[in-house]
Amino acid sequence: MIRRILLFVNLILILASMWIALTIGQIRGPQANPDSVVRNIIYAHVPSSICAMLCFVVLLVASIGYLITSKRTWDLLAMASAEVGTVFAAILNLTGSIFSRAEWGMWWTPSPRLVSAALLWFLCVVYLILRSSIAGSADKKARICAVYGIIAFLDVPMVYISARYMQDIHQPSFSFDAAGQRLAFFMSMASIVLLGALLIWIRTDLLKIKNRLEEHF
Amino acid sequence: MNYFLQSLKSVFVKDVLIELRSRQVLPTMIVQGMLIVWVLRIASEAVSSAVTVVGPVALWIAFIFSGLLAQERSFAAEHDEGCINGLIVAPIDEGTIYLAKLLVNVVMLSVYELVLTPIVMLAFKLTLSGNIGLFILVLMLGNIGISSVGTLFSAVVQLTRTRGSLLSILVLAILAPMMVPATFALLILFNVIPPELAGTGALAFVGTLKTAISYMAVFDIVFVTACWLLFGFVVKE
Repeated sequence: MIRRILLFVNLILILASMWIALTIGQIRGPQANPDSVVRNIIYAHVPSSICAMLCFVVLLVASIGYLITSKRTWDLLAMASAEVGTVFAAILNLTGSIFSRAEWGMWWTPSPRLVSAALLWFLCVVYLILRSSIAGSADKKARICAVYGIIAFLDVPMVYISARYMQDIHQPSFSFDAAGQRLAFFMSMASIVLLGALLIWIRTDLLKIKNRLEEHF
Repeated sequence: MNYFLQSLKSVFVKDVLIELRSRQVLPTMIVQGMLIVWVLRIASEAVSSAVTVVGPVALWIAFIFSGLLAQERSFAAEHDEGCINGLIVAPIDEGTIYLAKLLVNVVMLSVYELVLTPIVMLAFKLTLSGNIGLFILVLMLGNIGISSVGTLFSAVVQLTRTRGSLLSILVLAILAPMMVPATFALLILFNVIPPELAGTGALAFVGTLKTAISYMAVFDIVFVTACWLLFGFVVKE
């Protein structure tokens, strides 16, 4: 019941933030093309990046949790967060790529944040590939994936530091001109983070059911 | 401490002896490395003015891919003959097994680097302008970074259906951040980027040789420690 209410609230939040973003919160530009609405992609791009990062943090916590307690729930939570993280990292890279083409005239360039975002997606996808290719017991699968989850998490700050050796084309920060823009941004942030949390929750439950079925049959 | 060193030595000597007797991995690594360098040298002819830039990149690509061969064998042989079970039940800490295997891979990659580096320098017309000690340090730091991740994941992929092909994606994804400062350090040492220009003017964003070496050292410390601590969970039955 709580989940249904939260899903409903989430839907309202998403619709409201979209409406505000496309009306009073609309961002125009880039300078070369003032009528372009491409900058509005920021309302999906930034929250997706935060959400993908949060999924990675959940993956780390769940991986450590599994290695300490050997409880199956931690493993399923890690799996769910890796799946949701892959989706948000894909959205982050796709929206970033569209923005990059419109703003800088190229689909991708090796700049620190772009490299970090691409690596985030790669690490999540490799986690899923590794998981699907391990043969043996569920415990072995969970242990190996937990080890990879921790090593992969350590890689994220390393790529951010190594970015010092690349030229940064990315916007350092974004300033909003109108209160409507700020409202739309925070609402989209809240709605996408809530969506991510709900997706992890639902997916973990689905994996638990699947797991129980596999144990019985 | 003595027991730790003794067990480390036993596993290390065992693996080195196997390689010396079978001569399975090192010749394959060297031939593969030469082929990689050869292909990249031919391809770089399209931009013959920038051939020196491709040199350090070729060196790291050859190290990673040939290193994978050594790392994959280090646990594949144990699994194929069922020796891994003997190693696990032996009164040796799992971390020590990891360190011994890491040491074997570092030694193998060092021998390989000794053969391949002059070939790359000749093929890509590279001359070492900086301190040779620093050059060896950069190669060794890269070597330890590649081997640390490769050794852990070599044990991981033995439990999968795809083995070797999976090892390459696991290692490449994790090593990606180290490759930028590693290539940058070699570009300075081969004078492709003059050292006095690094970290100043148009190159202000890239840092210096010192920061690149420090980054590689931090990467090695973080991943050797993490892999050593986590190795036990991979081989536990």
